Amino acid sequence: MQDQNVSVHIQNVAHSFGVEGHAKHVRALLDTTMDIHRGELLALIGPSGCGKSTLLNVIGGILSPTTGTASVNGKPVNGPMPHDIAYVFQENALFPWNTIIENIRLGMLFQGVPKSDHEGRARAALKAVGLSEFADHYPGQLSGGMRQRAALARALSLDTPVVLMDEPFGALDEQTRMVLGEDLSELLSRTGKTIIFVTHSLGEAVFLADRIAVFTARPGRIKEVIHVEEPHPRKASFMTSDKFNGLRNRLFDLLHDEIRKTVNLGSGSTGGF
Amino acid sequence: MKSGSRVFGFMSTYPRLSQLITVMMFLGAWEIVARFFVDKMFLSPPSRVYSEIDRVLNTKGLLQALSLTLYELTVAFAIAVAIGMAIGLSVGLNAFARRCFMPIILLLYGIPQIVILPLFILGLGIGPPSKIAFGVTHGIFPIILAIVAGVQNLKPVLLTSARSMGAKRWHIMRYVVLPHMMPSFFSGLRLGMTGVLLGVLLAELYVSTAGIGYFTGLFTQNFDPTRLLGLISLLAAMAIVLNEFMRTVERRLSRWRGND
Repeated sequence: MQDQNVSVHIQNVAHSFGVEGHAKHVRALLDTTMDIHRGELLALIGPSGCGKSTLLNVIGGILSPTTGTASVNGKPVNGPMPHDIAYVFQENALFPWNTIIENIRLGMLFQGVPKSDHEGRARAALKAVGLSEFADHYPGQLSGGMRQRAALARALSLDTPVVLMDEPFGALDEQTRMVLGEDLSELLSRTGKTIIFVTHSLGEAVFLADRIAVFTARPGRIKEVIHVEEPHPRKASFMTSDKFNGLRNRLFDLLHDEIRKTVNLGSGSTGGF
Repeated sequence: MKSGSRVFGFMSTYPRLSQLITVMMFLGAWEIVARFFVDKMFLSPPSRVYSEIDRVLNTKGLLQALSLTLYELTVAFAIAVAIGMAIGLSVGLNAFARRCFMPIILLLYGIPQIVILPLFILGLGIGPPSKIAFGVTHGIFPIILAIVAGVQNLKPVLLTSARSMGAKRWHIMRYVVLPHMMPSFFSGLRLGMTGVLLGVLLAELYVSTAGIGYFTGLFTQNFDPTRLLGLISLLAAMAIVLNEFMRTVERRLSRWRGND
């Protein structure tokens, strides 16, 4: 009934926070329908509060939408689907009391992977993100960039077809983001996973994504979808190409008006920044 | 002025040594005051307390009293930890329960419990049960408060992350909530231990025919400060050993906090 190529299907998903008619009622996301294909990297970008994280959380089963349904690999999403979806959060979501490798093993324990596989898969994931030497360090002993790599390793070790990332590099500095972006492009193109990630960075969206969904200001909906026709893995030289700059500028134009709207609304009831 | 700052500089370079010097000065002052200024019916110098410590241990019935008090302490502590943990977790993990019951718990904690000690004696008699119960009511509050505080500042993203990876309820308890609250749980245990000690000894002092509290009362009434202080020193030594043991366990379990 559904296209075998479709990994994530979003059907008329809309979400509001609070009770309708109440002063605090906020429509975060308007009716959204979209298909994300297997092996595709989709970036969600838009002004603050446009519902892009809401959409990601709906797909991840962390939030149930007010209306509509999401399905992953043909299965409707009714809650977390640890076997289909792995999450990389914006904040550091590693358990600070466990070492890096313990964190990775714990994820597999939660997911239900047989104990005998833990060590091998954890080591492989650490190697993939280049953190083999830091297996026995605690998260507090690593830099922010290394912690996000570790979180990525944990997500990879779960071996899910879909990975969701909510501003995975949001808290990192520009240079670290750039290097991590390159590594990510290389890594993800090898694994063939479906990746959906939320970002605020125009450059990051263009550099990593196959498609970029641009959101309007709240209440959010998808304004336009931009295709980035550039094979993975992408090299740093892509970042200085005319094509990259052209796409980035287009994205900037699309977003600029929307961001203006939120900033002008900002003094109102939304309270965001 | 000059020498003052030099002393301070010296002290801050060797904190351990300064600690030792402080203790020595205190003992020295006590020795002098006890030897030359205070009636020996009321105070004994530390040298005498130390040299006559065997007199304390040889007091008839004292070892039994010590073991009785230890028994009361152990039982009271175990009960306080078990009930305190149950209450702390159920109140701490549920926002409604917290809003509803925390004010009541804080109010009860604020009452000086010594005023209701007679009720404990009346209800449970002058034997060990009333001492254990009084120890429990003293020890339980710090444990509850520490657990509630420890559970509360857990980062929500850790819970979400655990659930997204498929963690069941008991997984979250065992691997997220428990390790998170470990450090404050241990400080709660230490405070709880102090509370239990206080409660049990108070109850023993108030009315009893056995236990350490009985002997402190006895030595005081007999104007025997040497034995009284000897007994107190023994108790203090026990408390310190216990406390250090807990701290070692605590440090081992919270290694991730330090940067070793």
